[in-house]
Amino acid sequence: MAKEIVKTLCRMCDNRCGMHVFLEEGKVTGVEGNPDHPWNWGRLCSKGKAAPDIINAPDRILKPLKKTPQGWQEIGLEQALDEIADKIRQIQAQYGKRAMSAWKGEALGFNQEEEMVRRFCHAIGTPNYFSNDSQCFVCRYMAYRFLYGTGAYPFPDYANAKCIVIWGANPPAAHPFMTRMVMEGKQNGARIVAVDPRLSMIARQAHDFIPILPGTDGALALGLIKILTEKGWYDHDFVEKHAYGFEELQSYAARFDLDYVEEETGVSREAIEKLALLLYKSSPHVSIYIGNGTEHHVNGVNNSRAIASLIGLLGALDRKGGSRVLEGAGVRDMTLYEEIPLSHLDPIGADKFPVLYDQRHECHTMTAMDAILSGDPYPLRGMILTGANPASTNPNVAKVKKALASLDLFVVRELFMTETAELAHYILPSATFMERTEVFCHAPIHLLNLTPKVFSLPEVQDGYDFWHDLAHRLGAGEYFPWKDAEELNAWLLEPTGYTVEDLRAHPEGIVYQPHRYEKWKEAPLATPTGKVEFFSTYLKDFGMKGLPEYVSPSYKADPEHPFVLTTGARKLLFVHSRYHNIPRFHEACPEADLEMHPDDAAELAIADGERVSIESKIGAVEMKVRIVAENEIIRGCVHGIHSFIRDNVNEITIDSENDPISGFPLLKSIAVKIRKIKGEGSTPHQPD
Amino acid sequence: MKIITINPDICVGCGNCEYACANEQKGNFDIKNSWIRVNFYPADRVCIPWNCAQCEDAWCMRVCPAGAISRDPKTGAVLIDEGLCAGCKMCMLACPYGSIHFDLEAAVSRKCDLCGGDPQCVRACLSGALQFVEVDRAYEFRRRQFDNVLRAMPGIAKQDGEER
Ligand code: SF4
Ligand code: SF4
Repeated sequence: MAKEIVKTLCRMCDNRCGMHVFLEEGKVTGVEGNPDHPWNWGRLCSKGKAAPDIINAPDRILKPLKKTPQGWQEIGLEQALDEIADKIRQIQAQYGKRAMSAWKGEALGFNQEEEMVRRFCHAIGTPNYFSNDSQCFVCRYMAYRFLYGTGAYPFPDYANAKCIVIWGANPPAAHPFMTRMVMEGKQNGARIVAVDPRLSMIARQAHDFIPILPGTDGALALGLIKILTEKGWYDHDFVEKHAYGFEELQSYAARFDLDYVEEETGVSREAIEKLALLLYKSSPHVSIYIGNGTEHHVNGVNNSRAIASLIGLLGALDRKGGSRVLEGAGVRDMTLYEEIPLSHLDPIGADKFPVLYDQRHECHTMTAMDAILSGDPYPLRGMILTGANPASTNPNVAKVKKALASLDLFVVRELFMTETAELAHYILPSATFMERTEVFCHAPIHLLNLTPKVFSLPEVQDGYDFWHDLAHRLGAGEYFPWKDAEELNAWLLEPTGYTVEDLRAHPEGIVYQPHRYEKWKEAPLATPTGKVEFFSTYLKDFGMKGLPEYVSPSYKADPEHPFVLTTGARKLLFVHSRYHNIPRFHEACPEADLEMHPDDAAELAIADGERVSIESKIGAVEMKVRIVAENEIIRGCVHGIHSFIRDNVNEITIDSENDPISGFPLLKSIAVKIRKIKGEGSTPHQPD
Repeated sequence: MKIITINPDICVGCGNCEYACANEQKGNFDIKNSWIRVNFYPADRVCIPWNCAQCEDAWCMRVCPAGAISRDPKTGAVLIDEGLCAGCKMCMLACPYGSIHFDLEAAVSRKCDLCGGDPQCVRACLSGALQFVEVDRAYEFRRRQFDNVLRAMPGIAKQDGEER
């Protein structure tokens, strides 16, 4: 049988590794890493390897489905789109344009998909665009942006670093191919530091592992800043010429007495002093990567800002071995924020979290659930959701389910019948990454790629065709003038100087710009003052604290709930709620678990593998305990894995307590109590 | 000839190699079907991804009474012929590294066969801890590591250049 190889990029997660797809008679029969792709040099993680399991899954939804009193009914695509368009028109006529909304998840696409959805919302007159960015990425984005005016995070120059600090991140599970970059730095002689409440996989290879109490990262960073500024261990020249607010930061940090920091963070004074010295001695070749671990706390943005301030202080910004400021390829922006501004229509959540909206045009998903249920501040009656599963991945899933089920129109584009899709009126089959073509940039290596459509299925639309067809039915066709994704790609690429043909000829991508260091020598930064803003003039103008002031997490003051629950760490085989339906993955890792310190378990007389009840102030969930080694989790802290099919910790994560700047829920700062379940014996857990 | 080298300084114990091997051998992700095994020792934070060394004078091959073990002339892998294997498990005992496993379903011993020359564990290793390299380039990373120590040493590093 003829075996054809098509080169594309994996998108089982958003790392987008170079992939060879084997096709036999139009069917995907296998995949392997593309040895010539500079991102992954021939390697694929287990998720990537199982891509055919998803593409060819027997439970894939391949026909449009409509919910009827008799259950799901297959209908034709054109009919489905007509009915959906009719309903949208009705809702918008009755309640106003803003009563419609759309939500972009990550299960289908990412950047390109996101911009299409943003475009669609504004094209039909609603500002209500939602995504997982109400609880991911944006906190750190803002922290860096306020300080350095950057669009993407400054990315560590791992290979040339003398010291690498991985703070609240676990690349092997979350950004697999960053692991190699960190380890390359290690082999080149960098000292690796990991700061985390858990001994993450990356922390196993750190020279210094610094366990820290959840949410206290800002106190540690400010303690470090105190030492660095007091001893004069910072880049005087850089700070003098390129920074704003240094004195204010220095005098604020001076309050962070190391005895207090030790008490607050659980990190010993010696460890803090040792880290400060290491940072100083390694500067400016210090690479700091901040992960999602610092985001989900009441002080997430300011904690992340305090950590990110170290980059400027040490003169590591855009320096060799420091944090590189990335340059984009100049791919066109699809959003309509200039052409059709809609902020006057009270985007959902923009009053409560004005910075989130102002910075990102991002509406707040948790506020949306309240708005749907209460009709306050106005009726939000319809939603089109694409590749997201908030009924599993948002906090307080019971409320999410209730809210989404009460919509007048709920349309879900999906590959599978998810917890969220079950609540829909219509489910539309959707293209996987192999069934569409899109532009993708590996920003850290300045590599521009175009993925080909490997194959296609009837009635299974890619994102562009869907938004195009719906916009045209709703009289907003002028905003979707391109015939198909191919034409769109050509338009998107125009300003880059590369064409679709150029990129097709280079399936391993094109480096659009060699890296340049110290660009701040040539042009001011994109902050309001043009300088590094240790004191954020932007936040000050918003009536918020200009300095990254510290606020202690509230779980510390809750004697009723003596444990702090963190959530969100990942297992290797899954991306949040995704891939639990791959039978061979489910069999390999069938059960959710709650990681617990052996001394905590002993105190509560809990055995490894025993099911316990975990209670937060909004409810209780049962999970199976995994007792880990003494140094694998900090005492008093438990970690509950999220979004498994059973025992989902998001039943007790809280939606209504948020970081006031980002609006993020406190997914890693939840006060809980843990109860033995009567008569519950233990069964040993499966290996990870 | 190529061999698999391991680097315990950068292995993060993620287990992708074990999954990849199980997938190659049995089409699933049950790591009991993996011939490579990763041991993680939390107290000293050590990860060891250990696999058959394809010994030149292999204990397993010498001990096998059925003569079921031979060398693949193409890859140098030590192979067990499942048609000849009697399931006596002597090779498991003889191997000083515990690199031979028993397949209960087929009732024969199993071991790494280098996937015929493209070992899948290496193709899955995120950190780069596993490499499949020509023997004369093996453990180059150790030499590089040592060079880095020397290069940073005062008196060796040049005064004006980048030290590294
Ligand atoms: S890390 Fe894994 S899932 Fe993510 S793109 Fe690469 S191979 Fe695919
Ligand atoms: S895949 Fe590589 S890093 Fe992961 S456990 Fe195996 S050898 Fe170690």
